[in-house]
Amino acid sequence: MNLTVIRLTMRGLLGRRRAVLLLILPVVLLGLAGLTRWASGGTPDASATLAGQFAMGTLLPLMCLLISTGVIGAEIDDGSIVYLLAKPIPRRTIVLSKLAVALGAAVVFAVLPTIIAVEIAGDEGGRLGLAFGVSTALAAVAYTALFVALSVATRNAVILGLLYALLWETVLGGYVPGIRAVSVRQWALSVGERTLGDHAAAWGVSAEVGVATGVVMLVVTTAAAAFLAVRKLQTLRLVSVD
Amino acid sequence: MAEQETAGVIHDIGFRHYDGPRLGRGWIVRSLLVETFRGAFGFGRPAKAKVMPWVLIGILLAPPLIFVLIIVLTGMKDLPVSYTQYFSSLQLIISLFIAGRAPYAVSRDLRHGVMPLYLSRPLKRDDYVFAKFGGMALAMFAILAAPETLLFVGALLAKLPVGDQIAGYAQGLAMSVILALVLTGIGLVIAAFTPRRGLGVAAIITTLVVVSAIGGILWGILTSMDNDALGAYLSAIDPYNVVNGIATSWFSVEPNISAMSTLGFTGGLVFTTLAVAIVWGSVAILLARYRKVGVV
Amino acid sequence: MSTLELQGVSRWYGDVVAVNDVTMSIGPGVTGLLGPNGAGKSTLISMMGGFLSPSSGTVTLDGVPTWRNPDVYKVIGLVPEAEAMYDMVTGWEFVVANARLHRLHDPEAAARTALEQVDMMDAKDREISGYSKGMKQRVKMATALVHDPAVLLLDEPFNGMDPRQRIHLMDLLTHLGTSGRTVLFSSHILEEVEEIAGTIEVVVAGRHAASGDFRRIRRLMTERPHQYTIDSSDNRLLASAIIADGSADTVDLTKATLSVQASDFGRFVHALPKLARDNDVRLFEITPADESLESVFAYLVAR
Repeated sequence: MNLTVIRLTMRGLLGRRRAVLLLILPVVLLGLAGLTRWASGGTPDASATLAGQFAMGTLLPLMCLLISTGVIGAEIDDGSIVYLLAKPIPRRTIVLSKLAVALGAAVVFAVLPTIIAVEIAGDEGGRLGLAFGVSTALAAVAYTALFVALSVATRNAVILGLLYALLWETVLGGYVPGIRAVSVRQWALSVGERTLGDHAAAWGVSAEVGVATGVVMLVVTTAAAAFLAVRKLQTLRLVSVD
Repeated sequence: MAEQETAGVIHDIGFRHYDGPRLGRGWIVRSLLVETFRGAFGFGRPAKAKVMPWVLIGILLAPPLIFVLIIVLTGMKDLPVSYTQYFSSLQLIISLFIAGRAPYAVSRDLRHGVMPLYLSRPLKRDDYVFAKFGGMALAMFAILAAPETLLFVGALLAKLPVGDQIAGYAQGLAMSVILALVLTGIGLVIAAFTPRRGLGVAAIITTLVVVSAIGGILWGILTSMDNDALGAYLSAIDPYNVVNGIATSWFSVEPNISAMSTLGFTGGLVFTTLAVAIVWGSVAILLARYRKVGVV
Repeated sequence: MSTLELQGVSRWYGDVVAVNDVTMSIGPGVTGLLGPNGAGKSTLISMMGGFLSPSSGTVTLDGVPTWRNPDVYKVIGLVPEAEAMYDMVTGWEFVVANARLHRLHDPEAAARTALEQVDMMDAKDREISGYSKGMKQRVKMATALVHDPAVLLLDEPFNGMDPRQRIHLMDLLTHLGTSGRTVLFSSHILEEVEEIAGTIEVVVAGRHAASGDFRRIRRLMTERPHQYTIDSSDNRLLASAIIADGSADTVDLTKATLSVQASDFGRFVHALPKLARDNDVRLFEITPADESLESVFAYLVAR
């Protein structure tokens, strides 16, 4: 990992209008958490629904998409990535550095707010917060890897990422049970479910797959995505404009 | 070639000044509008640019086709999905469409700095905004009206009672108009502030999806506190619910949010005002935004 | 020394051939890559810079392929055509970051040297987003020079520069060339190429049309007669003598000038002084009317 790449990437990610969205969304989440608490009186299952459906289901993939496209997509698009590529640095280093920034941003803007939101909305001994913290963190790892790979592989990364996150995981997943098993969200949720142990059923946290499957799939997906990103970056064709 | 004289000479090499009739401002606005409309569907661009809009359109039109087949083959007495409920079912696809095409209409011009080219013609700044808005709104209307029309045709083919169908279809079209205007407003405003490629799409879809989720959550929370009416009002943060609310109040259709039907006249007024405010506000923001553009 | 070798290099995209069997050798000194738009200059520079792989043939720097070889950037400095840079940092920070990415011993000193070379020390602490096009070009140059590379590849470097900056850059490139570096730049602006390039490589429609010093290329263009403008003490007399001698194809006499077209350049050049002396005419000025890069270029493109 290269510190300069990390620094440049951070400046790029946070210095643009993208950052506004990254700030607004966690605030919205916290606001809703407050409302949920007021309405439900702090029961963990209401909080679990908010975290599972909204934070993990809607907010997290969208934010990871925003972050990933901001971390490498924008640079490839306008061609400024050439300044990183025309250096004696292995492509692997560039990808890993950018993934680190993406993950860091995801943790700060999505994972931590989720934990805080759960605590605000209602928890029991911090268990739910821990479970969702772990789940969102693991999901963030996989999502950012996937979307970074997508950003390197194609100029239409945003649309494809959206189609995956919104259509595949949410809508189709609701109709076709088989699809739900092939979803980053479910894999990450399985770990959270296991963390909660007995409370999972009580609070309505359930995943389509078992923990073992979930973890393995997460690792495989993340590794494959990172590998793909490096390979694609090695042979990236620099073209300018639309 | 000019001879080497110290004075310098400019020769007449045949440039002609055009003094004939010129098509006016109105024509320019109309052309821009048509071009925006066509561009939303990828016409006038290479094949690769057509893929995304048409895939989404295909997804939008598939269910009506399937419904029509079902009705005709199984002889159902009524449409499985009413004309007005259809939008809610395919909310995501519609949102994806506006998210993808609004940046195409507006962000590219800003990104490449070609606004001075537009403005150095007899086209006024406001004309540009209205042309783009009109073109995009027409495109959205087409997107929304097409499945409605398919449903209508299918219903007629299945020999469902014509009177009801016409009424339903008309209501569906009315909703299409309002929804098209509202979504265009929101989409164009966000796109006009996010010229970077990809960011506009992400921003619009994020906004629409998030407000939809918020609307649902607010509704859920307030219902659980037995405050249905307020829940119905607050759910209007989602533009789809606003349009649905209008339809429920004025057309007495089946609402997505059950409490909406209880809101009656006041509700209808509130939602209509809200819709008007969104459209009018978006146009105002766009006009303000474009006031500063192109000034180097 | 650092030599870029292209051997039988072709690059195609589906049915479109961008570069067609190009063989050239770019050695130390300043080389100008010349060609009309779409001739394949950027493609060639991308391949030399390791950003594009040849569909066939090899592109090597001192025997080592440039493709998928990040280490080659230790000796190559690339000035890309793309305008975009990291907008939200200052010029100084950006050049220092580039120096750090090159793992230089003293990145700040290197950055200072590079910025001084491009005359950007005054504006270095302003954000790049506020730079003019010419300033951005200069920062681009600085990032390419910061690691003191042996090979410099510039894609349309004079784009957007005002005359003063252009002269400055030309001086810089000339200086780099004479100090033994291999400098390759692409351009459509013939005057610049003419002035600083020792060797030119002409690329037309993907093919390598000509290479060498442009005057020598002109000699090779035997199908086209050479044109001269002559100023003497008695143009009329000289004109009639030339016509009588027969060494010129066309003699064009106007009140002010005497223009001559000769396809047998050698014969004419030897005959003219003799004719002038024999007829007691004083020759004041003989100007080759088309021995410019522009005419060479036009000829090669039109072929």
